[in-house]
Amino acid sequence: MAMKFKAWLKTITFYEILVGMKATLKHLLHYRPITLQYPHEKRTLPDSYRGMLALLRYDDGTEKCVGCDLCEAACPSRVIRVISSEVPGEPTKRYAKEYYMDMTRCLFCGLCVDACPVDALGMTREYEWAVYDKRQLLLSKPQLLAIGDRSFPVREKRLELQHPNVAFFNVAFKFMPPKES
Amino acid sequence: MFELGVKVAFSLAQIGVVFGIVLLTVMFLTLAERKVIAWMQDRMGPMEVGPYGILQPIADGLKLFFKEDIVPAGANRFLFSLAPILALVPALIGFAVIPFGPNLTVELFGIQFKPFVISDVNIGILYILAFTSIGAYGIILGGWASNSKYSLLGGLRAAAQVISYELNVGLAIVGVLLLAGSLSLVKITEAQAGGFWHWYIFAFPFPQIFAFVVYVISAVAETNRVPFDLPEAESELVAGFFTEYSGMRFAFFFIAEYANMILVSCIAAALFLGGWNAPYPGTLIGHLGFPHFAWIEQVVWFAAKVYCFLFLFFWLRATLPRLRYDQLMRFGWKVMLPIALGNILVTSIAAYLFPKS
Repeated sequence: MAMKFKAWLKTITFYEILVGMKATLKHLLHYRPITLQYPHEKRTLPDSYRGMLALLRYDDGTEKCVGCDLCEAACPSRVIRVISSEVPGEPTKRYAKEYYMDMTRCLFCGLCVDACPVDALGMTREYEWAVYDKRQLLLSKPQLLAIGDRSFPVREKRLELQHPNVAFFNVAFKFMPPKES
Repeated sequence: MFELGVKVAFSLAQIGVVFGIVLLTVMFLTLAERKVIAWMQDRMGPMEVGPYGILQPIADGLKLFFKEDIVPAGANRFLFSLAPILALVPALIGFAVIPFGPNLTVELFGIQFKPFVISDVNIGILYILAFTSIGAYGIILGGWASNSKYSLLGGLRAAAQVISYELNVGLAIVGVLLLAGSLSLVKITEAQAGGFWHWYIFAFPFPQIFAFVVYVISAVAETNRVPFDLPEAESELVAGFFTEYSGMRFAFFFIAEYANMILVSCIAAALFLGGWNAPYPGTLIGHLGFPHFAWIEQVVWFAAKVYCFLFLFFWLRATLPRLRYDQLMRFGWKVMLPIALGNILVTSIAAYLFPKS
């Protein structure tokens, strides 16, 4: 009975509404916004942030990509299109003659980067890629290389000059580094 | 002839000033609402246009002014154009009888004027109720003429809601009218002079506190504000009755909504909270020996009451979720209406036992 009376009293005095209004007023008086004024201030990205994709180069400027198509196979959204061909004059080496990425479809899962055997793909920390024409998001090889150049200014050494235990292939046999026994 | 000319000129000047103040307040309210609700929800609100976003209303107004004016295919063009005007005009015209300050008379060229009320109609409150009802037509016609299911549903909801809650507004006011013995807003406010214990919300024979609560809730519902914003429920009806409106026509509906908010706040201040009267007898400036400038304090008191009431609107919007439609109707007819009727009964008995001397 007392409980019922109490509930009735709460109903007619709008007790629950008053509690809610007290909560909002408390937030108004102790004003501590959590908003980040985005274009003026940007959040710190986590270390493993997966942003725009890029093609990378070695320190002497040659492309890392060997045109193996594994990224194309790994991609779940069919973003990547690789047209592979032989390096002119070096029949044992291959490279990506054309390389397209349709970034409108990319979901930034990073599977292509994992799939790449020569670490030719990288995920940069760029994310401001809004454009007015979505055709601008169909990126070609020079564009992807440019993104890689500006995001990874420090490049790796050529494969044959690296530590011999690093995985490698598609290196002409004459350049094959001697393996330590 | 000269007398008539002066009268017309003075009235036009008064109308212009009130119109300007109301529209400026609407501009300010659009910003204040966004800011207050943002602060209550730990956000910042508009921050880009001008320092701390204070020029946002001007930017919004300019944007709406230059927007394309779209009339949807299959819409009734005449009614579609008429509806925003029909919503806006009644909202603004109600300010004609609101007393913004003391009932002074100023003599100019030998003719007496009342500077703080455009026209002291002796049925003032009835006039406002009549015109706010016409405002409902604007909403219904706007919803119907748009040739869109969302607009039609919003218009229907608005019709049902405004009509059922208007009844409660009217009945809540009746208690005050019984105590004051007048329909003129100026006379009602004058009857509440001399301290806050004379305000009708606390007044002696029977405090109108229940009527005030009923009035506040019904006023929120009548102006289609959260938690009674079913006619424009954005999660169900896109934007309700003004889904298809764009540009200045949308702006008309928007201004009408905010002008209605100001109007119901003015009525609440005048009827229940003593209007221009300070919560203590007389005025501070009058006690200090400048009775000619007492009107400044009284106008400030009126504005303060109105703004407190407007803040309540924002506060409710930041706090409460939307009601379901059947809850809204049940609350209006089964809870508010009996309370208002009971209040009238008790007030009339109290007014009969303790007649005004």
